[in-house]
Amino acid sequence: MKRAHFSVAAVLAAFCASYGCTSQPEAAKEINLFAWSEYVPQGVIDGFTKETGITVNYEPYASNEEMLAKLFSGAQKYDLIQPSDYTIEALIKEQRLQLVNWDRVPNFKNIGKEFKNLPHDPKQQYSVPWMAGSVGIVVNTEKVTDPIKGYNDVFQDKYKGRIVVLDDSREIVSWSLAALGKGPNDVTAQALEQVKPILARWLPLVKVYDSDSPKTALLNGDVDLGVVWSGEAARLYAENPKFEYVLPAEGAHQFLDSLAIPIDAPNPLGAMAFMNYVTRPEVSKLISADFPYTNPNLEARKLLSPEELANPASYPPGNPKLEGFRDIGDAAVAIDKLVTDLKAKD
Amino acid sequence: MRQDLTSFDGGTPVRRRRPSVAAWLLIAPLLAWVLAFVVAPTLIMLVYSFCERGTLGGVIYRFTWDNYAAVADPTYLNIMVRSVLFSLLTTVACLVMGYPVAFYIGRAPEARRNRLLMLVMVPFWTSFLIRTYAWVTILKSEGLLNSVLLQVGMIARPFEMLYTPGAVIVGLVYTFLPFMILPIYTSVEKLDNALVEAAFDLGAGPLRAFSKVIVPMTSPGIAAGILLVFVPALGLYAVNDILGGGRVDMIGNIIENQFKGSARNWPFGAALGMTLVVAFAAALWYSGRRQSHTT
Repeated sequence: MKRAHFSVAAVLAAFCASYGCTSQPEAAKEINLFAWSEYVPQGVIDGFTKETGITVNYEPYASNEEMLAKLFSGAQKYDLIQPSDYTIEALIKEQRLQLVNWDRVPNFKNIGKEFKNLPHDPKQQYSVPWMAGSVGIVVNTEKVTDPIKGYNDVFQDKYKGRIVVLDDSREIVSWSLAALGKGPNDVTAQALEQVKPILARWLPLVKVYDSDSPKTALLNGDVDLGVVWSGEAARLYAENPKFEYVLPAEGAHQFLDSLAIPIDAPNPLGAMAFMNYVTRPEVSKLISADFPYTNPNLEARKLLSPEELANPASYPPGNPKLEGFRDIGDAAVAIDKLVTDLKAKD
Repeated sequence: MRQDLTSFDGGTPVRRRRPSVAAWLLIAPLLAWVLAFVVAPTLIMLVYSFCERGTLGGVIYRFTWDNYAAVADPTYLNIMVRSVLFSLLTTVACLVMGYPVAFYIGRAPEARRNRLLMLVMVPFWTSFLIRTYAWVTILKSEGLLNSVLLQVGMIARPFEMLYTPGAVIVGLVYTFLPFMILPIYTSVEKLDNALVEAAFDLGAGPLRAFSKVIVPMTSPGIAAGILLVFVPALGLYAVNDILGGGRVDMIGNIIENQFKGSARNWPFGAALGMTLVVAFAAALWYSGRRQSHTT
């Protein structure tokens, strides 16, 4: 019964999206938000509920793949998900996302144009950017005095046992590709063969692999160098400015996480109301305060404090070379095997 | 099964009766549980392990042997062997440390026994992850243990403990020690003191009484403890991630990565899991057969 009701709403929504209804139907009073853990401030959720009367069930996940697994298990229907760029690309390819009705998300205009129409959603039909970030180098400048400019400066024999990196085979391979002057999406068998000797040299130097909280090993003093998420680096810098963030000279990975609506979402109108709420500058500012990634909302950036804007991990100065991940299909398996092999030999 | 029935009865064969309806009713909840949470998931895993990889995770229902061919790769076999060794080491350490404790508790006067048992269980009141993170604070280079050792002057500079295989073993032993102590304790508690005294009266020394009487009498507890430690230790990956720094992959990490990591290769993860299940079942069956031959 409930499900029938939901699908009527979905048809209505689709109808309205395609014909642009003027009389807009009311959104149902509940949305299921499936988002990264530690990424959505409770204050933002409470504010949305207070204003719209729509309750938000926030269920967290720790990786894009975990999100996909639960999304397709069908055990729970979600109204909003928060995938990264390459996952959005794959979801669009498989026709698993709903079109966003931009009339319902007027605040979308606040998003900077460098975050729109990117290769993963070229016509900007499906996703609303949440936060962007990069993967770069953190240097404990009290312990490491030599200048660190890029990956080749980090992975030196003298730093053996003093490095933390993300526990993510695709990330690791992308750094070695950059060291060869290749983009992160050049994952042909030939390119992977070429990075093998580089990684065989790099990986034995690593002390810790940690994607969840790489800042811990740096804060504890167990390592002095890291290749980590910019958000982690921003928090380290806020804790102690001795932790310097460097975007690798060879090129770095920029990621963009966005909100999107699954094709079978029971309450797409509620989802769009949430999209519109969080792109309001005063609200978006609150997200930046808790999670200091790069805010794609340019109007919200105007409201940030000078200290927040000066954090080089959130807003890197200069003109760094950044590139996003694309969906690479089956190459992911080869990459995983490559890194597992090299780690096992270590 | 038949072997168990006869041995429990001290060797005299049990007359086999047809189980009554009441007996079936009594066992029904357990059967339902086993069917729903053991048999069904294992069957799903078996099916998945012969499927092709789905692009967004999941599987495509097309038959293939490829996943098992990939398991046979030396890298993965080595990782499996290493995981088994880590698990064995953990089990032996738990047995060596746990047996005396269990014996002491089991032989203690009743009031003290309950208090001691309580102490063994207190750690379960806190989440396993929190307790593992506590070990990070103890073992890290500017941590508790290093600062104590430095203060006492036993070491000149911080000793690297965290993010080593040793730290992983410490974490595993710490996690699983109660699972060794508790089953051995129940065996020790039931141990008839008269038999131990009889052994002494008949001229056995302490060593002999221990190896010929006490160990055989407590062997069900030992066997249960070994199973309860070895099997979960083989699959646990969180300790390896937190205390080992994820530097040395265990089979649990590899399997997790097929489902939650960027490879998104469910069928391969399922094939790895099935291989472990089959290897383990074979080992159990073989040791069960050997036992029934020796008795």
